[in-house]
Amino acid sequence: MVSLSKTTVGVFKDSKICKLIIISCFISCLIFISSFSSKNLFAQENSDCMECHTDASVVDSKVRVDHVTGEVELVSMVVDEKEYHASAHGGEDFYCIDCHADLEDSEGEHYPNLQPVDCVTFCHDDPAATFLEGSHASLMQEKGVQLPTCKYCHTGQKSKMNTPRADNLEHRGDTIEKCGGCHEAYYRSYRNNLHGQVTAMGYVGLDIATCVDCHGQHTILNSTNQESTLGAENAKETCGKCHPGAGNSFVKHVAHPGYKDVGYYKSALVALKNIRKDPGEIKAIVKSPQTLLTVLFLAYVGLLVVTFAQFGTHMLFSWLGSILDDRKENESDHG
Amino acid sequence: MANNTSTLMRFGKFHRLGHSLTIISFFGLVLTGMPLVFKDYAWGQWLYGVMGGYPMAGNIHRICALLTFVAAFLHFAYLAFESLVRKDRGMFWGPDSLLIQPKDVLNILGDILWFFRLGKRPKFERYIYWEKFEYLSLMWGTLVMAVTGYILWFPVQSTRLIPSSVASYVDLPSIALVAHRYEALLAAGFIFSIHFLHTHMLPENIPTDEAMFTGKIDEAHVKHERGAYYERMKQEGKLEGLRVQPSSSGAKFISRLMGVPLLTVGLLMVGFMLSSVIVSLAGLFVDLTKHLHYDIFSIFAF
Repeated sequence: MVSLSKTTVGVFKDSKICKLIIISCFISCLIFISSFSSKNLFAQENSDCMECHTDASVVDSKVRVDHVTGEVELVSMVVDEKEYHASAHGGEDFYCIDCHADLEDSEGEHYPNLQPVDCVTFCHDDPAATFLEGSHASLMQEKGVQLPTCKYCHTGQKSKMNTPRADNLEHRGDTIEKCGGCHEAYYRSYRNNLHGQVTAMGYVGLDIATCVDCHGQHTILNSTNQESTLGAENAKETCGKCHPGAGNSFVKHVAHPGYKDVGYYKSALVALKNIRKDPGEIKAIVKSPQTLLTVLFLAYVGLLVVTFAQFGTHMLFSWLGSILDDRKENESDHG
Repeated sequence: MANNTSTLMRFGKFHRLGHSLTIISFFGLVLTGMPLVFKDYAWGQWLYGVMGGYPMAGNIHRICALLTFVAAFLHFAYLAFESLVRKDRGMFWGPDSLLIQPKDVLNILGDILWFFRLGKRPKFERYIYWEKFEYLSLMWGTLVMAVTGYILWFPVQSTRLIPSSVASYVDLPSIALVAHRYEALLAAGFIFSIHFLHTHMLPENIPTDEAMFTGKIDEAHVKHERGAYYERMKQEGKLEGLRVQPSSSGAKFISRLMGVPLLTVGLLMVGFMLSSVIVSLAGLFVDLTKHLHYDIFSIFAF
């Protein structure tokens, strides 16, 4: 016992070890105290946010004005954790403050109006750049139409926050409606074709083409552009994703048949009216493969009308005739 | 003398089998295919879900299509056997034929006169003229549906058949889709309204004409409906050979048990289809006239 205390005192007398112990004690105390005094010395965990944002009685709905479209909507600030974890940003290594960067130094309750999330600057600069390169975006800028933000298309079903993955079925269905919101005639003609028929039933799996599967996701170029996904060279590859072996004839498919669209007939009539001024216009309409489809469609409509009108009248007459004959027979029997 | 209770054979086992095969395949095809035409209507989406949804309904459709091919193959094999082996050409020309004969033209004219009470109804042969039209439209329809269906089933392979310079005017899959869709509307609409009402739901047959299920028909019925055939059989002395035991009440019950649900489903389908077409046409009318501002009250301005 005595010898042990002796050696302890001996060690303390060694000034180097003594200094080291004192310094390490001081640092550990500092760390311990700092962990009490401020949470902000280290990044917040998602659980810190979820303490409040999963409880509907603590956080409530907020009016949000879309800074692009000016649309006003009421948004719930409650985070559905399950939905969030299923979304594209729901992985383990994502933190709320990665996107809501202006909350990095806040603690406890924070001010209500956060900066809009910047998807582009630090993470998604590639898709943003290719989106701006596409004729889709440049045409909108030319015409002075406000460009959609990332969030316009990549929006979760319940909350905008739950950015859907590319193979999310709701997202795929939603995209058709979003594109169709502006491209109304193309939407109707898409619905008139095979792919659109099936997706209209709510089956929007990866094996049925939606708008983006043919026209590309971010670099949307006009299909007449040779560099677009539907240009002469690229089309075989684009169609071949689902139809392996798609050849030169296959890619001539009319994916947007207009024979059920009033606008198609109107444009043909207008072109017919301007035949003196611009004979090329009507030629272009007649020369397209749509013409044969329209002729066939109208022939079938005629056939349907004639068949049902003729057989319908025939049936009514023969019913009436046999009833009258029966009555006559009965009368003659009784008479 | 068996006067009222006597029964004749109308359809052999082979024809009844063919009809049953056609019923099964046709209903399968219509129930899985028609929702795609009426995709915008809730009943179409519901029916598509009931039939198994996207890949399943399509597979049922293809299986039923193959069943149709079996039925068509059996039919043509029968035709070949009868005409080549048995040397019986009666089915191509003559009173027993299902093809349009000169006498049918006279029958049609006579029937039109009868419609307007200008004469007696002509006496019909074994097959009445509208039954011949139904048969011919079935043959034509099966051909169109088979060809276009194959193009839609194998779009990549079928487009290889035409050069790409032609393909820029003739887009095979799209043409096939238009033809397949409207031929289907024609066929389903025709079978479920005209065929049902004309053969099964006639005042004397309601609810079903059991001849196609049991194969037997009352002699009085034949005499009334197909007078010329009856007279011919009588003269040729074949009438006794056609006489069979009347079908049992069990067979009648079973044929009704099969026929009535099928009739109900078919009539419901045609009801849904017709109402949807009317709604679509109303939508088209509204669409066409939305820029037309006609003030009905302007008549009071005078």
